[in-house]
Amino acid sequence: MSLKEELLKRMSDGVVDMEEDEVAEAAQEFIDSGFPAFEGIMNGLIDGMNRTSVLFEEEEYFVTDVLLCSDAMYAGLNVLKPYLPEESGDNKKKAVIGVVEGDTHDIGKNLVKIMMETAGFQMIDLGRDVPLQKFVDTAKEEQADLVCLSTLMTTTMGGMKTVIELLKDAGIRDQVKVMVGGGPVSQSFAAKIGADGYSQNAVEAVRLAKDLLQTAS
Amino acid sequence: MLTPKERLHTVLEGNKADRPPCICPGGMMNMITEELMQTVRIYLPEAHTDAQKMAGLAKAVYEQGCFENYGVPFCMTIEAEEMGAKVNLGSRIYEPHVTGYVIDTVSDYGKLPEIDLSKGRVKVVLDAIRILKEEGDVPVVGNLTGPVSTASSVMEPVVFYKEMRKKNQETHAYMEFITNQLIKFGTAQIEAGADVIAISDPSATGEILGPGFFREFTIKYINRLIDIFREKGAQTIVHICGNMNPVYEEVNGIRSDALSFDSVVPMKEARTKLEGRVLMGNVSTYALEFAEPDKVRTLAENCVKNGSDIISPACGLGMKSPLANIRAILQAVAKEEEYASH
Repeated sequence: MSLKEELLKRMSDGVVDMEEDEVAEAAQEFIDSGFPAFEGIMNGLIDGMNRTSVLFEEEEYFVTDVLLCSDAMYAGLNVLKPYLPEESGDNKKKAVIGVVEGDTHDIGKNLVKIMMETAGFQMIDLGRDVPLQKFVDTAKEEQADLVCLSTLMTTTMGGMKTVIELLKDAGIRDQVKVMVGGGPVSQSFAAKIGADGYSQNAVEAVRLAKDLLQTAS
Repeated sequence: MLTPKERLHTVLEGNKADRPPCICPGGMMNMITEELMQTVRIYLPEAHTDAQKMAGLAKAVYEQGCFENYGVPFCMTIEAEEMGAKVNLGSRIYEPHVTGYVIDTVSDYGKLPEIDLSKGRVKVVLDAIRILKEEGDVPVVGNLTGPVSTASSVMEPVVFYKEMRKKNQETHAYMEFITNQLIKFGTAQIEAGADVIAISDPSATGEILGPGFFREFTIKYINRLIDIFREKGAQTIVHICGNMNPVYEEVNGIRSDALSFDSVVPMKEARTKLEGRVLMGNVSTYALEFAEPDKVRTLAENCVKNGSDIISPACGLGMKSPLANIRAILQAVAKEEEYASH
């Protein structure tokens, strides 16, 4: 195994094993050895997160594990990011994400954000308990491609429908795809309120987002 | 014929009654709706902070033919609020929710105040239970937010979940503190007259924690509550959200009198996997808000058929659910009784 391969493996394994310091160290060695940061991100850190996603889908890993894996990934990202070449023309797809008004449960939303960032989306995170109009205003200002709505409470599900109506009122419903998720939300609810898609978990959300925007995976 | 109180008591003891009780505990399992509030002219958020109004709304749930119990409070923020968390009390359509945390890490739990039974919304709940207790034939359900859910309402849940692993011993010390506060509040509810304590721990699901942490945290601390409440003479119901597949075996280790699930758990499957347990659930709250009464009746009948011992909504009700839909559950369940007596 070459030094480069070895360092990539250390980063990827470090993410899967939730070893923040180990990932940051391997990332620093990777840069010090003169290897390109982009490759370290894609074949080291993202590779680790992809393996984490598989473990999550197989119910080997749970939310608490994924949160720590993503911390390890971000630790590596902080080291590598400054060495990335200036991006020529931002062609990342933009998504606005948040938990709808009345609800402050944001674990699911955070996971989706992490997974989508990992998959190359630019995420604009509005946080939780977000006033419904704010989703629309932000989508408009940022010319977002996607609006991702989350709630864990039955009592706030109705807000998702309102956001879709507000998007229509603002005349931008055709310009964005709307995806919904969270405990009480289902495929049939998504269809009923006129959302473009529903996903059951964070890994599925990435697939759905790619499908909706038909980007190559 | 049994009174609602006798019926629930009998079923929670693991015995057969004339028919399944139809209840909605309160707490996380909200049963207050806009239409109910308009009917009795008592409104949220005021009723969250006024014992008379809280008891009045709780009574209305029974008197309007929705469920065969009284239950208070109508949210899961009181415990955290008493330990210093900032709470937005919500509105007629939104439940109260935590908007500001108290500590940044489990290590700082020493800074948290203990729950004071003589003031705030804790006192409102205890006073409301005393009022409801006077009514006699209807079981009074007191509600508690589960240990993990309370712990992750006082600080940022993401940090809490990470520290379960990273600061394991300190997280347990924090959980001990939280559990002691819940024991205090729960015991006071029983002394005030609660017949049943319902514990909901939505942030402690098997899906979030996985079987290891579910055993180590969720079950350990919930069981501690249950054992003490049983000693004090109350029966217990535990509601766990989410898919049970990763943790069926573990769930069976929860020592409550009844187990309640949300609608992602098929009742038939739960019945097979949890033989001998009293199960509660799980009429889809989505159907309760958006479907027609006939559909709700069918779902309630299916719950009975599939082995649910206590018929209830699968989760908290959406505040816009029509009364006709809610009443349809009890109508369907009470009809079963007619059949049985023929």
